[in-house]
Amino acid sequence: MSHLVALIQNENMKIYRRNSARVMLFILLGLVLAAGLIIKFNTPEPKPDQNWKQQLQQDNRALQQQMSQVKGSTSARNYLKSTIAVNQYRIDHNLAPARGETLWKFVEDVASNTVTVISIFTIIVVATSIASEFDTGTIKLLLIRPIYRTEVLLSKYIAALLFAVFSLIVLFLFSWLLGGILFGFGGATEVHLSYVDGAVRETSWTLAIWKIYLLNGVSLFMMVTLAGAIAALFRNGGLAIGLAIFLMMGSSIFVQLLSSYDWVKYVLFANMDLTQYTTGLQLRDDMSLGFSLAVLAVYYVIFVIFGWLFYTKRDIKA
Amino acid sequence: MTNDAEIRKNIAVKLEHVTKRIGRKTIIDDLSFEIYGGEVFGFLGPNGAGKTTTIRMIVGLMRMTKGNIFIQGHSVKTEFKQAMRQVGAIVENPEMYKFLTGYQNLLHYARMIPGIGKERIHEVIKRVGLEERIHEKVKRYSLGMRQRLGVAQAMLHRPSVLILDEPTNGLDPQGIHDLRNDLHRLAREEGVAVIVSSHLLSEMELMCDRIGIIQNGQLLGVETVSDFVQNGGGKVRFSVDDGTSAAQVLKQNLAIEASSIKPDAIEVTVEHDKIPVIVDALVGSKVKIYGVVSVTQSLEERFLEVTGGKALVSFGRIDPE
Repeated sequence: MSHLVALIQNENMKIYRRNSARVMLFILLGLVLAAGLIIKFNTPEPKPDQNWKQQLQQDNRALQQQMSQVKGSTSARNYLKSTIAVNQYRIDHNLAPARGETLWKFVEDVASNTVTVISIFTIIVVATSIASEFDTGTIKLLLIRPIYRTEVLLSKYIAALLFAVFSLIVLFLFSWLLGGILFGFGGATEVHLSYVDGAVRETSWTLAIWKIYLLNGVSLFMMVTLAGAIAALFRNGGLAIGLAIFLMMGSSIFVQLLSSYDWVKYVLFANMDLTQYTTGLQLRDDMSLGFSLAVLAVYYVIFVIFGWLFYTKRDIKA
Repeated sequence: MTNDAEIRKNIAVKLEHVTKRIGRKTIIDDLSFEIYGGEVFGFLGPNGAGKTTTIRMIVGLMRMTKGNIFIQGHSVKTEFKQAMRQVGAIVENPEMYKFLTGYQNLLHYARMIPGIGKERIHEVIKRVGLEERIHEKVKRYSLGMRQRLGVAQAMLHRPSVLILDEPTNGLDPQGIHDLRNDLHRLAREEGVAVIVSSHLLSEMELMCDRIGIIQNGQLLGVETVSDFVQNGGGKVRFSVDDGTSAAQVLKQNLAIEASSIKPDAIEVTVEHDKIPVIVDALVGSKVKIYGVVSVTQSLEERFLEVTGGKALVSFGRIDPE
């Protein structure tokens, strides 16, 4: 096991010493910075609203009415129910909703939109790591060491996932810092309200953000594994990157097109977005979190077996 | 070689009926031979003969369809790690990570084998003479420097079997000379089995103790370089003022037929002790002699003879003569 650590060290060196790693990091930080500046200078400073309680009560009445009209979809009802409950909680506990952008709201906006970018970058990293050594010929000097190919492949996979974790941490810290600078660090103590199992709870924003990261991270994890498997299968980085990004971007369209069919629930992309279970906006009523996790696990095992077989069993002709 | 018998005892690499088929095509056909510790073994063959495929099977990059390969007694198939611990290699070109420095490249390979420290890395860098530019990125290296870095990574873990595919490629004459001495030293002093493949046959002649010739995936034979070259027989060239009359003298006086006659020289295949007799006869007939040279057949000529001359395409620089 100890040499697995050394192998991961090697892969890290090969990821971060490339110029592309630096470029990706700059793009990521640049996007966050641009988003922050646009929000800061394009939204007018809101005035504090003294009548927010009446406003929320009014909102709730409207939502209640909507709920009585929606009959079929439980997911839509769940969504309305949670919004009403959170509003009521605010009224009861005298917690005025934040107006305009705050530190945490910015971090949240960044989190839900930028994880896709990190997914794309990690797909590039994993595909490059696995396939480029066949193009450059370095694979020959890599695989003649007293190390099994399985260990080499595993170290590449782990190093790519570590890259994703590292990027998420950088993203979190940078967006928090930028949010504080642009919108004031005063918002840092704000509580986060979430609706869990029929009750509203006060939770920390940090936890809430990492929950978003984690839920989005599932799709990242699956797509990175798929890209790695394609790279190992065809030994072609460009193909793996292109195909994986195309599938990831196109997935929501495919799923929408197929959503009327029964079997859509077994499609990988229908199950990858786990946020559907937290917002209550799930694709089909006969799907649940457990179901999706089981489907994902099956796909995962298939990807890993195919990638592993083709990486370890085929001759090296590069 | 002084203690031939002793060296032969130590079998470093053993190929047993190695066969490789891809589809219906047989690339390597029932190859069996042994390479001993302490010798430099040359692997010869025209392009596409199966040299690289054989080397790839020895280092585990390709699987064999039949047969087995043992490195220091460890099967490449079933004891991959023990077998590979003993091997250092360059397969075809020394392709390194260009975006890393030479040092980072060596560090990368050192990490893959336990017990290789920074001292060993520096030792190897010094040995291949890359001290001054080791912290530069490999993309700025010349082909010769890359070749030396390739040799460095192959020697890093003190392997007992060193496999170098075309090692002189890109080296300047001084570099070739140094490499040759280094390989001999590794073989003689440290008992390493060195396997070299090269298209530069004259280079092979100076570098190797034994050579194995492979063609169309089959082994044509393994011989020591001295046997290989001498099997051609002793040919002697006499530089004279008039080739035609010299040839006539030999025919009439000694009944010896010249194998080639030119205006300024003749070539004769004779035993060693006949040379003074010929000189006497020529001088007696007033033929002026400017030189007497023993012409050993070069490895290249012999190689073409053995492989039936079919290799011509793969050697660009053969004199038409």
